[in-house]
Amino acid sequence: MTIRMRNWFQKKLLIGVLALAMATTTALVLAAPRPGESVTVRVLQAKVMKKPTFIGASTGTVSRGHVLRFSEAKGGWYHVTAPFDGWIHSTAVTEGQVKLSTLAGSGGPVASRQEVELAGRGFTPEVEDKYRQQNPQLDFHHVDAIEKLAVDPEKLASFARAGKLDAATEDK
Amino acid sequence: MRRLKSYGVMLGACVSLLACAVNLTPEGLMKTFTAIQDANKDLTPENEYYVGRSVATNLLARHDYRYRDTEAIARGDLIGITEYVGTVGALLAASATETERKGDRPSPIAGWHFTVVEHDSINAFAAPGGYVFVTTAAVKAAKSEDELAAILAHEVAHVVRGHALGSIKKSRWAGVAKEAVNNSVTLDEAALGELTQVFDGAMNDMMDAIFVKGYSRDTEFEADSVGAAIMAYAGYDTRAFASYLETLRAKQGNTKGGMFATHPSAADRIKLLGKTDAARADGHALAARSARFATARASLN
Repeated sequence: MTIRMRNWFQKKLLIGVLALAMATTTALVLAAPRPGESVTVRVLQAKVMKKPTFIGASTGTVSRGHVLRFSEAKGGWYHVTAPFDGWIHSTAVTEGQVKLSTLAGSGGPVASRQEVELAGRGFTPEVEDKYRQQNPQLDFHHVDAIEKLAVDPEKLASFARAGKLDAATEDK
Repeated sequence: MRRLKSYGVMLGACVSLLACAVNLTPEGLMKTFTAIQDANKDLTPENEYYVGRSVATNLLARHDYRYRDTEAIARGDLIGITEYVGTVGALLAASATETERKGDRPSPIAGWHFTVVEHDSINAFAAPGGYVFVTTAAVKAAKSEDELAAILAHEVAHVVRGHALGSIKKSRWAGVAKEAVNNSVTLDEAALGELTQVFDGAMNDMMDAIFVKGYSRDTEFEADSVGAAIMAYAGYDTRAFASYLETLRAKQGNTKGGMFATHPSAADRIKLLGKTDAARADGHALAARSARFATARASLN
């Protein structure tokens, strides 16, 4: 390969890499939700918090599949105004669709086919059911009960304050 | 002209990339999602949830389903030592999410759950999906809330870093028909059987890592390091990590069972932790937490 050819190849490669990087960045920016757009709750339940923090007062609870329109994004938190005015953390929601509303421990009906599809890799409610049939000695009632428990975020705030865990308080 | 043509090709590629990113339909999203999953073998949070429930049940079964506040938990009440440990754990879980690292799995679908299991060997373990268990002996061995936070933060770190999921042998998927993985909507009995076999094998892999053989040393050191960062953000004194490990070192002696069989030596862990920045709490703050910790620990006697 001549020096001229090598220079030409390197130049093309550099331009290609830069173009790809720009396109990816632009795509990510465009793909990320913007104020006014909607996100869907992906966890079973999430608190809408009065301030953008996990501890302290909440304004309400939203469930998996709930679609929320947000007006502002701040440090990993989205500000929503309906059905409750407050903040929800970005890890509790998805920009994609969540059509399913129930999961194994929630006591509701069997999960939808979309849920099975979403699971994709194969570890689904159907597989859990089959596994339970094959292992009747395992008692899932305990985990069903355990996963219904949650610490109230207001109690969490009081606990942090009483323990002088200032780094974990709302003002952080 | 040739240069213009090559720019045109690149522009076309960029436009195609943008189109892919912006115009994804739900079907397109699903295909992309499945393709990505197929490529990197990652498990979705939904998969993690089902896997986690079964691992947690297996862990409880190994302890004959003996855990504190059983009746209250069955009623849906959070009380006693379970509430105390759960509250410390919830603070750490919140910190883990606030300090999210690349590759973390910070928000389990069903939230975080901390349970105190009855056992006289010092141990703690975590199942995927946010199920954390600590033995009564481990809580009793702690000298402060900060030491308890160190135990729990280490387990939270295992979950957010996906350590148990990572222990599933890649070969588990080898015999699974592609349609069973990529077209789960129409699972027939044979495909369901195949997947259940993988699920069962995955359970064995994870139980081995969590409960029998342990993770690799590097994995444990990562859990220590990430755990220390999590507890520091919550406001706990990270020096408690080393002080708890000192207690373990003293208790370890010639003991081989429990957590001593599944973790690197306390001495090695202390040595590596010494290389991380310590977050310190003043005496006033430590005193504020000491009374409630003493009350909680006394409830185990």
